[in-house]
Amino acid sequence: MAALLQVADLHAAYGPTRVLHGISFELEEGSITALLGANGAGKTTTLRALCGMVKTEGEVRYAGERIDGKATEDIVRLGIAHVPDGRGTFVNLSTEENLRIGAYVRKDKSAVEHDFERIYAYFPRLKERRYQQAGTLSGGEQQMLAVSRALMLRPKLLLLDEPSFGLAPLIVAEIFSIMRSINETEKVSILLVEQNAAMALELADSAYLIETGCVVLAGSADEIRRNDAVRRSYLGY
Amino acid sequence: METFIHQVLAGLATGGIYASVALALVMIYQATHHVNFAQGEIAMFSTYIAWSMIQTGMPYWGAFFLTILVAFVLGVLIERIIVRPVERSPVLSVVVVFIGLLVIFNSLAGWIYTYTIKTFPSPFPKEAPFGTHLVSSHEVGAVGVTLVVLALLYGFFRYTPLGLAMRAAAQNPESSRLVGIRVGWMLALGWGLAAAIGAVAGMMVAPIVFLDPNMMAGILLYAFAAALVGGIDSPGGAVLGGFIVGVLENVLGAYVIGNELKLSVALVLIVGVLVIRPSGLFGKVHVTRV
Repeated sequence: MAALLQVADLHAAYGPTRVLHGISFELEEGSITALLGANGAGKTTTLRALCGMVKTEGEVRYAGERIDGKATEDIVRLGIAHVPDGRGTFVNLSTEENLRIGAYVRKDKSAVEHDFERIYAYFPRLKERRYQQAGTLSGGEQQMLAVSRALMLRPKLLLLDEPSFGLAPLIVAEIFSIMRSINETEKVSILLVEQNAAMALELADSAYLIETGCVVLAGSADEIRRNDAVRRSYLGY
Repeated sequence: METFIHQVLAGLATGGIYASVALALVMIYQATHHVNFAQGEIAMFSTYIAWSMIQTGMPYWGAFFLTILVAFVLGVLIERIIVRPVERSPVLSVVVVFIGLLVIFNSLAGWIYTYTIKTFPSPFPKEAPFGTHLVSSHEVGAVGVTLVVLALLYGFFRYTPLGLAMRAAAQNPESSRLVGIRVGWMLALGWGLAAAIGAVAGMMVAPIVFLDPNMMAGILLYAFAAALVGGIDSPGGAVLGGFIVGVLENVLGAYVIGNELKLSVALVLIVGVLVIRPSGLFGKVHVTRV
């Protein structure tokens, strides 16, 4: 299979603070790839760098085309949806408006209307809350909303930033199982950033371990899970 | 009693003008969290443009809509060229830029059109409406125009994808970029709309106060009061605030404090609202976690 996303020697910094020191990884089309690592390792920054939200050096190719240096708004138009750290809810808009705004760049308006039902089938809770102000939703519902808003783009690549953060295990399991079915039935490739390594490795096909801005380990999810160092430091047994 | 009703109705009419300018202020505030002190002068300058068009023999409504279009473009250009470079500057720098714009437009109008007062035509009939002399046709018309503008804006923000995108961009620029909204252009569009609304207000008020480069100075102050009374982030509140300020100003001016002190009503209202209820009647109370 061809690589949908190729990242080579990616550097990024916030002002004088350098965060990424030459990260390289690939994501195969149709796969779920996980970026694992502790707090502050640079996982979120990597996702932000892919979307042109921080200044970077290095090369990012999406479907063979250079996207580094492009504006966020243009990268989105290529079919890359980003579920940001902190969920990025439009708190004063209704749930339904939050979803509608996710389809902002799409031209196929009738298919968009149909996609509301598709989303509500995945997350019936959002349908119950469709006219409610999104800021009043619970954390879990807002995470569902963030994922749904990204799916309204009909992306080819979904970037997920810590979807498990601050949520009850049951809700996390629900979201992860929906991610799997989206990957399998809709062929959406997923780049998943997670601190919860055990859950991420269960979902992912392959994974990269990031420590202080560098990739220190790469392999299939099974290989990573069996690695002794990973087991001790990240899986905790 | 009849004079009292007359004062209230006249207050509603000028209130409509304040409401339009307040609406324009609220639009820019919502999008950028800045109060545009040059709003009134942009409206005044647009009115002069309309005046020039009418002088060349253009029919009133043609000049009216063309002026709205010109004002819209002017607003967009001001945002792109002048406001954009200071977007991330401290609020005081932005305020200075706005005051600079105020002075520039004021002087430009005086330089091009001189400071001599000019009459500006009303599109509404001369004879009194509904066989009453309590209000003039122009006053009724101006209120009607304000309400139409409000309804159009409401429809635009509530039911169109672009309106939704503008609301989203004002609320959460980062998330907006992530769904592909060009946030910078949304701000420019907000400025364009505000300038267009201001132009409508200018053309509606000019037949009442006559056209001169300083015609909006007092009106801007009332509009500030209106926006604050209604809540600086509530378009509906701004319109209601406009009517409240208009009526208060007129009634108090006629019966309590006299015409000379009318302008102080606006100042008292501004200070009063800020002391008692800073979020206004319909504004949201913003709580910031520290």
